[in-house]
Order: sequence, then C-alpha cells, then structure tokens
Amino acid sequence: MALSRALAFDGVAFSYGNVAALSDVSFEVAAGERVALLGRNGAGKSTIVRLVTGLVHPDAGSVWIGDWDTADLAPEDLARRVGSVFQHADQQLFARTLREDVGFGPRALGFPAREVRRRTDEALDALDLHAHAEQHPYDLSPALRKVGALAGALALEPSLLVLDEPTAGLDRAWRARVADALREHAERGAALLVVTHDLAFAAETLERGIVLDRGRLACDEPLERLLTSAERLKPLGLVPPPIAALSVALDLPGRPVRERDAAHTLARVAGGRSAS
Amino acid sequence: MRTLGLDDVTFWYPATANPALENITLDVGPGDIVALVGRGGAGASTLLLVAAGLAPRVTGGRLAGTVSRGARAGIVLPTPWTQLSGMAFTVWDEVAFGPANLGWPGHAITRHVDHALERLEIVPLASRDPATLSGGELQRVIIAGILAMDPDLVLLDEPTAELDPEGARAVWRLVRSLAGEGKAVLLATSDVDALPDVADRIVWLEQGSVRAMGEPSLLAEDALCEAGLGTTVADLWRAAALPAPYPLTVVDAVQRWR
Ligand SMILES: Nc1ncnc2c1ncn2[C@@H]1O[C@H](COP(=O)(O)OP(=O)(O)OP(=O)(O)O)[C@@H](O)[C@H]1O
Ligand SMILES: [Mg+2]
Repeated sequence: MALSRALAFDGVAFSYGNVAALSDVSFEVAAGERVALLGRNGAGKSTIVRLVTGLVHPDAGSVWIGDWDTADLAPEDLARRVGSVFQHADQQLFARTLREDVGFGPRALGFPAREVRRRTDEALDALDLHAHAEQHPYDLSPALRKVGALAGALALEPSLLVLDEPTAGLDRAWRARVADALREHAERGAALLVVTHDLAFAAETLERGIVLDRGRLACDEPLERLLTSAERLKPLGLVPPPIAALSVALDLPGRPVRERDAAHTLARVAGGRSAS
Repeated sequence: MRTLGLDDVTFWYPATANPALENITLDVGPGDIVALVGRGGAGASTLLLVAAGLAPRVTGGRLAGTVSRGARAGIVLPTPWTQLSGMAFTVWDEVAFGPANLGWPGHAITRHVDHALERLEIVPLASRDPATLSGGELQRVIIAGILAMDPDLVLLDEPTAELDPEGARAVWRLVRSLAGEGKAVLLATSDVDALPDVADRIVWLEQGSVRAMGEPSLLAEDALCEAGLGTTVADLWRAAALPAPYPLTVVDAVQRWR
C-alpha cells in the first residue's frame, strides 16, 4: 500500500434496538491524515468511535482498519492498531497512578518492561504530564483525566488514533499541548479521527472535516473551507469559531482559520494600512 | 441582598497541606451572572462545590470562613454521567427526580418538568432510557433536572462541554434568561469566548485565590491574555502586535478595524 488506508467505512449502518444511529456511512482516512468528525448532539459520532474500536459491529456494510475487516475482531485485537479515548474517559482509567495507567496498554500487548517504560515516558513527555505521573487518576480533574487517557492511547503507538471530545473543559494551554502532541503523532504517519465540538481546536489541529447529520454523512471537505462558510455550517448545527468568523468579517486575504496564520495576516494588513 | 455569600473562605481537601481555595470573598445576588475563569486546577470547580454546600460535606476536608446560602441551590457538575439518579427509567422521570424529592404536588412537578424539557429542547427524548443517551443529550437532561427544581442559585461547572455549538449558544441564552427571572448564577467555563455576551462579572482565580475581578472587558487585558485566559479575538490582536486596548469579540474587532 502506497498512501496507505488507515480506516475505511463502507456503507455502514448501525441501530441501537429501534434507534437508528447511522445509515449508509462511507469514508476513508489515509495514514497521516488528521480528520475532525463533527455534528450535532446525537448525530452518531460516538457510535462511529464504538465501531472503530470494535465495541459494536455494523448491522450492514463494513469497517476496515487498514486491511483488517473488523467484523470478527474484538477491541483487544484492534488495540494493536487503534488507540482511543472515549467521551467519558473516566471508565478508561483504573490503575493507582497515572504512570501505571499509561503503561497498561503496552503491557497488555505483551511488550517487555523496557519497551513499556520507553513508551510510557514518551507519552507522558508528549503531553507534558510528568508532574502528574504519580498522582491517582481520580485526583486529576475530569478534563485532565482525559489527557491521561490520551497518553495511554499514545503509548500504544497506534496507526489510528480515535478521540471523542479530547479537549472538553481544558484551558487554552492544555488544548495547545494536546494539539501539538496530536500533530506530532500524525507526522509519524498515524491517522487521527477526532470527534469534537470545539471547532477552534479542530481548526488548529486538524485538516479535514467530516460532518454527520442524523446518522448520515452530510459533508466531507477541507476544514479551512468548511469553517469559513457560515451558511454551510448553520444547517448542520455548527457555528464558525472566532478566528474563522473574524477572517470572513474582516475579509482577511486567504481567509486564515488558525490563530498564527491570522495573526500574521492581520499584522501584515495593518502594517500596509498604516504605511499608505 | 445576596443569594450566595462567601466571606474569607479557605478550603483544604482531605490530607492536603495547601488550601485549594484561599481567602475567597464573593457575593452573588439575584439576577447576577458571575463567571469563574482560571487555568486548570486554579480552584473554580472547588469553589462551585463549596457554593453548593458539597464541600466539605461530601468531599471531606476542612473549611474556614463563612458560606451563606439563603436559597435553594442546584449544581451541574462537569461529569454529567455521574449525576444520573440511577432510579429513573425514562428521561421524564429522571428530570422529575429532584422535584419529587422536594415533595411538590404532582401538578407542580409536571409543570416544571415539562417546562425544563422544553427549555433544553429535549421533549423528543422524554421516554428514552437516560442510560442510553449521547453525551450532549445527557448533559441537557442533567441541566433540565436542575432547572426543574426551580433553584434560586444556579451553579454550573462547564455546562456546555458536551454540547454542539448551537446547543452551547442556546444554553448561554438560557443562562441569561434565568438571570432575567432573578436567579443568581455562578459558573465556570473554559469557553471564555462565550463570556462577553453572558457574564456580568468575571472572577479570575489563580492557585485558589482571586487574582482579579471585574467586567467582562477584563478578558481583553494583557495579564489575562498572558495567562491564556483572554478571548480568542483579544489574544489574536495581541499576537499580531496591534495596539491595546484589544477588542473582546468579533463584533468589537470589526468596529475597531473600520
Ligand atoms: N445504547 C444506546 N441505546 C439506544 N440509543 C442510543 C444508545 N447510544 C446512543 N444512542 C442514540 O444513538 C444516536 C447517536 O448517538 P451518539 O452517541 O453516536 O451521538 P453523538 O454524535 O456522539 O452525540 P454527542 O455529541 O451528544 O456525544 C443518539 O440518538 C443516541 O440517543
Ligand atoms: Mg458522543
């Protein structure tokens, strides 16, 4: 596989009893790609996360992780390729210290102690969590517990990382740290699928937006384009984040959606104005 | 008149030497919306627990100073999934759980529950099992359950964390209308961009103490931006090295730009 496929949904349908959650969902994510999964409450985003991690299986169609069809695979099989953080990550942490928790995944995959230690340290490093490593996970705030769960997912060194609302309740400094860690992980070739309501975080971190609307795929396009189009976002329950809204309102050249790009553009345009 | 008053409150969690809150003095009156901002761990969640009377009663620990709460308080925690009663098999019954515990007559319960479901736009979920809801659906149900008890003091910890952007806007509008009805609101949120249109007063917490207090324009000041607590637009203006005072919102920025 050249530009290899990390994940594929092919005509997937799923219902919880008589509640239809997804119908006819198809998309692919390539290795190294950074994808935001967006949409209203109840649109089916977490259901996609459950399918990708093998917690549930499609009623129709198939879900592929690389060249594995997940149909007959359980979560523990998929853990060799998929790292995940669930929406309510509380249920994911159970060791006595954060360090032990982060090392749980690689240990369960059977890596030797030295490799477990290397991966644990690298994951704690990537998220700047060393100061919290010896704390009990339940002494962390709910938002930080999620960052802890993310460290555990990174320690698996998965080819696909699926995250459900990784930044809910985080302050800006932590959000930036999470963004950096995710970009680095993607640079090493992993694919990211990130469910988020935080469109500013999506703009900073991710490149492509897939939007679900009542269980159907409503849109799949570059985030820059999507986030600067209020008319497109509105019927999907989304609102442009501040930088994108400002780019449009001030008609900034290139319509930047990331803070750094917008700051450069703003400084340049303001400089040009005061010179003329 | 005040609905919540904290006088020189210091609070220690069990088995800790350093206080989580130190010398906090704060009043919230009817119709006030006060927003706590701070870096993670600065004490906003603890302050809400103290305001609700849950700390130290439930958390353990020790409190010095006085907390006066002349009213019924309702709190929305940042972990809505821990707030389900576990006793209700439908969303309607879940929202009715609080009011029923207050011993209200049936017709009053029905009226308050129906109204709360409408306000959170979750009428279609009324007969669903609360244990099977999506994250945002659940957060709306928990908020509805608090509102159904008709509290005079509404305490909200990250009330929009699980909500879609439109739902978050609706909840912020709802907060304004609660204040309009005379309720006192104390909230904590990491969504500082929402605050200029919502809060009357901002309280900046740093390491358990009040670092500054003031109007929402505080969120465009250098010191707050420096701490990562300024609004996105203020922060952007600062990053572009444009002159202060920084605009607070997109609307302000557009005016400034002309
Ligand atoms: N166990 C379940 N039983 C019945 N219905 C369910 C169950 N889990 C989810 N649902 C329903 O399936 C639909 C999709 O839910 P899902 O959790 O995937 O939404 P979501 O996009 O993640 O929403 P949110 O942004 O609120 O987290 C919703 O209508 C939800 O109520
Ligand atoms: Mg979800």
